Amino acid sequence: MQLRFEEVGKHFGQLEVIKGFSGEFAQGELVALVGPSGCGKSTLLHLVAGLEKPSAGKVLADGRPISGPHPSRTLVFQEHALYPWLSLQANVAMALELQGVSRQEAFELAQGWLERVNLKGFEDYYPHQVSGGMRQRTALARAFIAKPEVLLLDEPFGALDALTRMALQDVLRELIEEHQPTVLLVTHDVDEALYLADHVLVFSARPAKVLQTFNFTHCEKSHDLSEFAAERREILRLLGIKTEVAHP
Amino acid sequence: MSQQRRLTGPKKYVAVVLAVLFILLIWQAAAWSLPDFLMPGIPTVLERMQAAVQEAQFREGLLGSMSRLGSGYSFALLFGIGFGLVGGVLFFFREILRSAIVILQSIPSIAWVPLFLIVMGFGNLPIIVVVALAAFFPMALSVMNATESVQPVHVSAARVMGASRWQLLRRVYLPAVMPELITGAQLAFGNAWRALISAEMLIGFGQGLGRSLAYSGEIADMTGVMMNILVIAILATLIDQVVLEKFKQRVLRYQYV
Repeated sequence: MQLRFEEVGKHFGQLEVIKGFSGEFAQGELVALVGPSGCGKSTLLHLVAGLEKPSAGKVLADGRPISGPHPSRTLVFQEHALYPWLSLQANVAMALELQGVSRQEAFELAQGWLERVNLKGFEDYYPHQVSGGMRQRTALARAFIAKPEVLLLDEPFGALDALTRMALQDVLRELIEEHQPTVLLVTHDVDEALYLADHVLVFSARPAKVLQTFNFTHCEKSHDLSEFAAERREILRLLGIKTEVAHP
Repeated sequence: MSQQRRLTGPKKYVAVVLAVLFILLIWQAAAWSLPDFLMPGIPTVLERMQAAVQEAQFREGLLGSMSRLGSGYSFALLFGIGFGLVGGVLFFFREILRSAIVILQSIPSIAWVPLFLIVMGFGNLPIIVVVALAAFFPMALSVMNATESVQPVHVSAARVMGASRWQLLRRVYLPAVMPELITGAQLAFGNAWRALISAEMLIGFGQGLGRSLAYSGEIADMTGVMMNILVIAILATLIDQVVLEKFKQRVLRYQYV
């Protein structure tokens, strides 16, 4: 699914969060949005998810304006978005049940998806019984089971430790390669953006404006990101982080 | 889960048994120090209870009380949950409902009896309505407050997965408020029970528990008074601690694992 933003603006009361944002993302692209906290990146995702409506401009999915949530565009939250009263399997199955799939079929498919994210044997556990990494694996399974055409990731691994995060980035990458959704990834982790994304958009503070776009299409990547050192330094500089030792 | 803060298993039962023994001890001490016609002892009252349970009239009265409680209480549960959920989602309606409840709740439910008695006539109905009224307020309030504090991310997640409004209520709001709903139901049961007994004592319809207690008092039959009080305590404890508590542990199983 192709996404297009036309002069999109969004304000909450007096607070202007996004101003005149335009952009076009092709089917199957993975775009990372990085920028200071509270600059409106998450709001962009909510606009695409249909949870919010733009105050100005248009957000189009395959040329049609987005009028509300639809299972073809799904959102993965940072954490605590699983339902504590449902087992991991029931959490994943719920994505299908809400679309009218029978309980039995949904549970069978959910079991397969849990296996796919290496959670075989944890079907009957409740979210509070497993680690944060396992919860986010479940959240990924819940997102992918509905075969979304657009996947919106709102700091999906922000609450995890560095090693767990890298393992999950690999899981996510495999899933994306298999299913080819268009992905918008909001992250604070520049390395995560470099590792996963085809394009990295660096945003200014509120109201969000794109400062610079970096393209990495057709790059073979591993977690050793040393060949992207120059881009990394530039992105950090744009975000206002010191990258050089000051000489007296 | 961090530290276990609940007493579970045998320890909890020991605590309950100790509490019961403590109450019985105070009663028996009073019976020893007062003359028999003022305060009968435990054995006398138990004997009377055994005899009463075999009387058809007493059993019918008991059944009448339970059916009035059942109708009033289930009515209150149904409407309390319904209004609470809707009130939690529509916030203008919520403020109206909350203000109305705060005002109406300050009126003791028993104060409605004269009005209902005249409007609805002598019979089951005024008692049922008083019971329902007494149970409705805590039920609606606790469900409404809980609905208000359902985590937005849980709602958003379901909307993103394509949930309809009805599915949101059924699959997100209802299970999310379940812990407070059950606490509210237990609170509501206490209110309903008190309202039932006092309304029956006042209205004196149908030979129920309240009527039987009031009558024993009128003829100064203290064994009868204590027997009725004992039955009231036993039934309430059974319903609250066994039925509602078991229901809670079943529905909130995820909190206990």
